[in-house]
Amino acid sequence: MPPEARPTPRAGTGAVEETDERRCLGIVERAYRGALEKQFFDELYLSVEMHRQLGGLDLLLRGQAVCYAAASATVPELRFGKATVTTLSDHRRDLVTLLENGVRVLAEESSLAAYLPGGAARLTPGVVPVADGELAPRWPDYRLVFFI
Amino acid sequence: MARRIPKTDVLVTLMGAPHASDQVTSALRLTQALLERGAGVQVWTCGYATLLTQRALGEDKPRNLADWNTDYPSMARVATGMLEAFPDQLYWYGCRFCSDDRGAHDHLPQVVLRPPAGYAANVAAARRVIKIGVI
Repeated sequence: MPPEARPTPRAGTGAVEETDERRCLGIVERAYRGALEKQFFDELYLSVEMHRQLGGLDLLLRGQAVCYAAASATVPELRFGKATVTTLSDHRRDLVTLLENGVRVLAEESSLAAYLPGGAARLTPGVVPVADGELAPRWPDYRLVFFI
Repeated sequence: MARRIPKTDVLVTLMGAPHASDQVTSALRLTQALLERGAGVQVWTCGYATLLTQRALGEDKPRNLADWNTDYPSMARVATGMLEAFPDQLYWYGCRFCSDDRGAHDHLPQVVLRPPAGYAANVAAARRVIKIGVI
Protein backbone atom coordinates (compact mmCIF):
# COMPACT_ATOMS: atom_id res chain seq x y z
CA MET A 1 0.00 0.00 0.00
CA PRO A 2 1.55 3.39 -0.91
CA PRO A 3 2.16 5.68 2.06
CA GLU A 4 -0.46 8.20 0.96
CA ALA A 5 -3.13 5.49 1.03
CA ARG A 6 -2.45 4.38 4.60
CA PRO A 7 -5.13 5.07 7.17
CA THR A 8 -4.15 7.98 9.36
CA PRO A 9 -4.58 8.07 13.12
CA ARG A 10 -7.69 9.90 14.25
CA ALA A 11 -6.68 13.15 15.84
CA GLY A 12 -6.79 13.18 19.57
CA THR A 13 -7.70 9.52 20.13
CA GLY A 14 -4.51 7.75 19.14
CA ALA A 15 -6.67 5.12 17.49
CA VAL A 16 -6.19 4.08 13.90
CA GLU A 17 -9.27 4.78 11.87
CA GLU A 18 -9.84 2.14 9.24
CA THR A 19 -10.76 3.90 6.03
CA ASP A 20 -10.22 1.06 3.60
CA GLU A 21 -13.37 -0.98 3.17
CA ARG A 22 -11.99 -3.41 0.61
CA ARG A 23 -12.12 -7.08 1.47
CA CYS A 24 -9.17 -9.32 2.27
CA LEU A 25 -8.29 -12.57 0.54
CA GLY A 26 -7.22 -15.60 2.55
CA ILE A 27 -5.82 -18.62 0.74
CA VAL A 28 -5.88 -22.12 2.20
CA GLU A 29 -3.85 -24.66 0.30
CA ARG A 30 -2.36 -26.79 3.05
CA ALA A 31 -5.25 -28.85 4.29
CA TYR A 32 -5.86 -31.25 7.12
CA ARG A 33 -3.57 -30.06 9.86
CA GLY A 34 -4.08 -31.70 13.21
CA ALA A 35 -7.59 -33.16 13.37
CA LEU A 36 -6.84 -34.54 16.82
CA GLU A 37 -4.57 -31.92 18.33
CA LYS A 38 -6.34 -28.87 16.86
CA GLN A 39 -9.93 -30.07 16.74
CA PHE A 40 -11.77 -26.72 16.39
CA PHE A 41 -8.75 -24.43 16.68
CA ASP A 42 -7.65 -24.31 13.06
CA GLU A 43 -7.36 -22.01 10.05
CA LEU A 44 -11.13 -21.83 9.54
CA TYR A 45 -11.67 -20.81 13.17
CA LEU A 46 -9.07 -18.10 12.61
CA SER A 47 -10.86 -17.06 9.43
CA VAL A 48 -14.01 -16.22 11.37
CA GLU A 49 -11.98 -13.76 13.42
CA MET A 50 -10.14 -12.40 10.37
CA HIS A 51 -13.49 -11.75 8.73
CA ARG A 52 -14.80 -9.96 11.80
CA GLN A 53 -11.70 -7.89 12.56
CA LEU A 54 -10.62 -7.01 9.04
CA GLY A 55 -14.07 -6.17 7.79
CA GLY A 56 -14.67 -8.83 5.18
CA LEU A 57 -12.91 -11.92 3.93
CA ASP A 58 -12.88 -13.93 0.75
CA LEU A 59 -11.48 -17.41 1.27
CA LEU A 60 -9.88 -19.30 -1.61
CA LEU A 61 -9.51 -23.07 -1.24
CA ARG A 62 -7.02 -24.81 -3.43
CA GLY A 63 -5.09 -28.06 -3.41
CA GLN A 64 -6.57 -30.66 -1.10
CA ALA A 65 -8.28 -27.88 0.83
CA VAL A 66 -11.07 -27.94 -1.75
CA CYS A 67 -12.20 -31.14 -0.07
CA TYR A 68 -13.30 -28.94 2.85
CA ALA A 69 -16.20 -28.00 0.57
CA ALA A 70 -17.37 -31.54 -0.12
CA ALA A 71 -21.10 -31.53 0.54
CA SER A 72 -21.10 -35.14 1.69
CA ALA A 73 -18.10 -34.90 4.02
CA THR A 74 -18.56 -36.53 7.38
CA VAL A 75 -16.25 -36.66 10.37
CA PRO A 76 -15.64 -39.96 12.11
CA GLU A 77 -15.41 -40.50 15.83
CA LEU A 78 -12.11 -41.99 16.93
CA ARG A 79 -11.36 -44.15 19.91
CA PHE A 80 -8.22 -43.57 21.98
CA GLY A 81 -7.78 -45.67 25.11
CA LYS A 82 -11.32 -46.20 26.40
CA ALA A 83 -12.54 -42.77 25.33
CA THR A 84 -14.15 -41.76 22.06
CA VAL A 85 -13.17 -38.38 20.66
CA THR A 86 -16.19 -36.84 18.95
CA THR A 87 -14.75 -33.37 18.42
CA LEU A 88 -12.28 -33.85 15.56
CA SER A 89 -11.95 -31.06 13.01
CA ASP A 90 -15.13 -30.65 10.93
CA HIS A 91 -14.15 -28.45 8.01
CA ARG A 92 -17.42 -28.64 6.10
CA ARG A 93 -19.38 -27.49 9.15
CA ASP A 94 -16.89 -24.69 9.73
CA LEU A 95 -17.13 -23.58 6.10
CA VAL A 96 -20.90 -23.34 6.46
CA THR A 97 -20.36 -21.16 9.52
CA LEU A 98 -18.08 -18.90 7.49
CA LEU A 99 -20.64 -18.66 4.68
CA GLU A 100 -23.37 -17.81 7.19
CA ASN A 101 -21.14 -15.03 8.53
CA GLY A 102 -20.75 -13.49 5.09
CA VAL A 103 -17.41 -14.92 4.02
CA ARG A 104 -17.20 -15.60 0.29
CA VAL A 105 -15.76 -19.08 -0.20
CA LEU A 106 -14.11 -19.86 -3.53
CA ALA A 107 -12.58 -23.12 -4.75
CA GLU A 108 -10.03 -23.47 -7.55
CA GLU A 109 -11.29 -25.52 -10.49
CA SER A 110 -8.19 -27.59 -11.22
CA SER A 111 -8.05 -28.67 -7.59
CA LEU A 112 -11.75 -29.54 -7.69
CA ALA A 113 -11.12 -31.67 -10.79
CA ALA A 114 -8.20 -33.40 -9.07
CA TYR A 115 -9.63 -33.99 -5.62
CA LEU A 116 -13.38 -33.51 -5.83
CA PRO A 117 -14.54 -34.50 -9.31
CA GLY A 118 -18.25 -34.52 -9.94
CA GLY A 119 -19.08 -30.86 -10.37
CA ALA A 120 -21.14 -28.44 -8.40
CA ALA A 121 -23.44 -31.14 -7.04
CA ARG A 122 -20.65 -32.27 -4.78
CA LEU A 123 -19.99 -28.79 -3.44
CA THR A 124 -21.45 -27.30 -0.32
CA PRO A 125 -24.03 -24.74 -1.49
CA GLY A 126 -22.58 -21.25 -1.56
CA VAL A 127 -19.04 -22.30 -2.48
CA VAL A 128 -18.09 -20.78 -5.84
CA PRO A 129 -15.71 -22.52 -8.28
CA VAL A 130 -13.14 -20.18 -9.83
CA ALA A 131 -10.79 -20.76 -12.75
CA ASP A 132 -7.10 -21.14 -11.97
CA GLY A 133 -5.43 -17.77 -12.09
CA GLU A 134 -8.72 -15.93 -12.10
CA LEU A 135 -8.03 -14.32 -8.78
CA ALA A 136 -4.37 -13.40 -9.25
CA PRO A 137 -5.10 -10.32 -11.43
CA ARG A 138 -7.53 -9.18 -8.73
CA TRP A 139 -5.03 -9.31 -5.89
CA PRO A 140 -4.39 -5.54 -6.09
CA ASP A 141 -8.10 -4.99 -5.50
CA TYR A 142 -7.84 -6.65 -2.14
CA ARG A 143 -6.75 -4.80 0.94
CA LEU A 144 -4.63 -7.76 2.06
CA VAL A 145 -3.80 -11.14 0.57
CA PHE A 146 -2.44 -13.81 2.86
CA PHE A 147 -2.08 -17.55 3.24
CA ILE A 148 -3.77 -19.12 6.22
CA MET B 1 22.69 -48.78 35.20
CA ALA B 2 20.98 -48.54 31.84
CA ARG B 3 17.21 -48.58 31.81
CA ARG B 4 15.68 -51.85 30.69
CA ILE B 5 13.36 -51.25 27.76
CA PRO B 6 10.38 -53.66 27.74
CA LYS B 7 10.10 -55.59 24.51
CA THR B 8 7.24 -54.62 22.23
CA ASP B 9 5.93 -55.62 18.86
CA VAL B 10 6.14 -52.14 17.38
CA LEU B 11 7.99 -48.90 18.03
CA VAL B 12 6.17 -45.88 16.61
CA THR B 13 8.67 -43.06 16.27
CA LEU B 14 6.77 -39.82 15.89
CA MET B 15 9.16 -37.32 14.36
CA GLY B 16 6.69 -35.02 12.60
CA ALA B 17 5.50 -31.85 14.26
CA PRO B 18 1.92 -31.76 15.56
CA HIS B 19 -0.47 -29.11 14.25
CA ALA B 20 1.12 -29.24 10.78
CA SER B 21 -0.48 -32.34 9.28
CA ASP B 22 -2.61 -35.28 10.34
CA GLN B 23 0.42 -37.37 11.27
CA VAL B 24 -0.36 -37.37 14.97
CA THR B 25 -3.94 -38.48 14.32
CA SER B 26 -2.71 -41.27 12.04
CA ALA B 27 0.08 -42.37 14.38
CA LEU B 28 -2.23 -42.63 17.38
CA ARG B 29 -4.99 -44.35 15.37
CA LEU B 30 -2.40 -46.92 14.34
CA THR B 31 -1.20 -47.27 17.92
CA GLN B 32 -4.75 -47.73 19.23
CA ALA B 33 -5.51 -50.35 16.56
CA LEU B 34 -2.37 -52.30 17.43
CA LEU B 35 -3.16 -52.16 21.14
CA GLU B 36 -6.73 -53.36 20.57
CA ARG B 37 -5.28 -56.37 18.73
CA GLY B 38 -3.17 -57.18 21.76
CA ALA B 39 0.17 -55.90 20.49
CA GLY B 40 2.75 -54.18 22.63
CA VAL B 41 3.66 -50.70 21.40
CA GLN B 42 6.21 -48.06 22.29
CA VAL B 43 5.71 -44.48 21.21
CA TRP B 44 8.87 -42.38 20.98
CA THR B 45 8.39 -38.67 20.32
CA CYS B 46 11.04 -36.43 18.83
CA GLY B 47 11.10 -32.75 17.96
CA TYR B 48 7.90 -30.83 18.52
CA ALA B 49 6.00 -34.06 19.11
CA THR B 50 7.56 -34.01 22.60
CA LEU B 51 5.18 -31.14 23.38
CA LEU B 52 2.19 -33.47 23.27
CA THR B 53 2.61 -34.88 26.77
CA GLN B 54 3.18 -31.79 28.87
CA ARG B 55 1.07 -31.67 32.00
CA ALA B 56 0.64 -27.93 31.45
CA LEU B 57 -1.76 -28.78 28.63
CA GLY B 58 -4.26 -29.77 31.27
CA GLU B 59 -7.27 -32.00 30.70
CA ASP B 60 -9.01 -29.81 28.15
CA LYS B 61 -8.15 -27.57 25.27
CA PRO B 62 -8.83 -23.84 25.70
CA ARG B 63 -12.52 -23.00 25.33
CA ASN B 64 -14.07 -22.68 21.92
CA LEU B 65 -15.59 -19.20 21.79
CA ALA B 66 -18.14 -20.43 19.25
CA ASP B 67 -19.09 -23.53 21.26
CA TRP B 68 -18.47 -22.63 24.85
CA ASN B 69 -19.78 -25.73 26.60
CA THR B 70 -18.26 -28.42 24.43
CA ASP B 71 -15.48 -30.41 26.03
CA TYR B 72 -12.39 -30.78 23.84
CA PRO B 73 -9.78 -33.17 25.23
CA SER B 74 -6.17 -32.00 25.32
CA MET B 75 -3.45 -34.17 23.86
CA ALA B 76 -2.25 -34.82 27.40
CA ARG B 77 -5.65 -36.28 28.23
CA VAL B 78 -5.68 -38.41 25.07
CA ALA B 79 -2.21 -39.80 25.85
CA THR B 80 -3.12 -40.40 29.49
CA GLY B 81 -6.26 -42.26 28.46
CA MET B 82 -4.29 -44.53 26.17
CA LEU B 83 -1.60 -45.22 28.77
CA GLU B 84 -4.20 -46.00 31.46
CA ALA B 85 -6.27 -48.21 29.17
CA PHE B 86 -3.28 -50.32 28.12
CA PRO B 87 -0.91 -50.24 31.11
CA ASP B 88 0.98 -53.41 30.20
CA GLN B 89 1.06 -52.86 26.47
CA LEU B 90 1.82 -49.21 25.85
CA TYR B 91 5.01 -47.35 26.76
CA TRP B 92 5.62 -43.71 25.93
CA TYR B 93 9.12 -42.26 25.58
CA GLY B 94 10.28 -38.80 24.60
CA CYS B 95 13.61 -37.51 23.41
CA ARG B 96 15.07 -35.49 26.26
CA PHE B 97 17.22 -33.33 23.99
CA CYS B 98 14.25 -32.37 21.79
CA SER B 99 12.09 -31.74 24.83
CA ASP B 100 14.72 -29.55 26.51
CA ASP B 101 15.48 -27.77 23.26
CA ARG B 102 11.84 -26.75 22.95
CA GLY B 103 11.30 -25.88 26.57
CA ALA B 104 8.90 -28.76 27.14
CA HIS B 105 9.00 -29.78 30.78
CA ASP B 106 6.85 -31.46 33.37
CA HIS B 107 5.59 -34.33 31.27
CA LEU B 108 2.93 -36.85 32.23
CA PRO B 109 4.30 -39.19 34.91
CA GLN B 110 4.10 -42.19 32.59
CA VAL B 111 6.33 -40.53 29.99
CA VAL B 112 9.99 -41.50 30.15
CA LEU B 113 12.44 -39.01 28.69
CA ARG B 114 15.45 -40.70 27.16
CA PRO B 115 18.71 -39.38 25.74
CA PRO B 116 19.05 -39.51 21.96
CA ALA B 117 21.87 -42.00 22.44
CA GLY B 118 19.38 -44.35 24.09
CA TYR B 119 17.17 -44.63 21.03
CA ALA B 120 19.05 -47.69 19.75
CA ALA B 121 18.01 -49.63 22.85
CA ASN B 122 14.35 -48.86 22.08
CA VAL B 123 14.83 -49.98 18.49
CA ALA B 124 16.46 -53.18 19.72
CA ALA B 125 13.49 -53.84 22.01
CA ALA B 126 10.96 -53.65 19.16
CA ARG B 127 10.23 -56.23 16.49
CA ARG B 128 9.20 -53.52 14.03
CA VAL B 129 9.95 -49.81 13.86
CA ILE B 130 7.78 -47.25 12.12
CA LYS B 131 9.10 -43.74 11.71
CA ILE B 132 6.51 -41.10 10.96
CA GLY B 133 7.42 -37.66 9.63
CA VAL B 134 10.65 -35.71 9.75
CA ILE B 135 12.01 -33.65 12.58
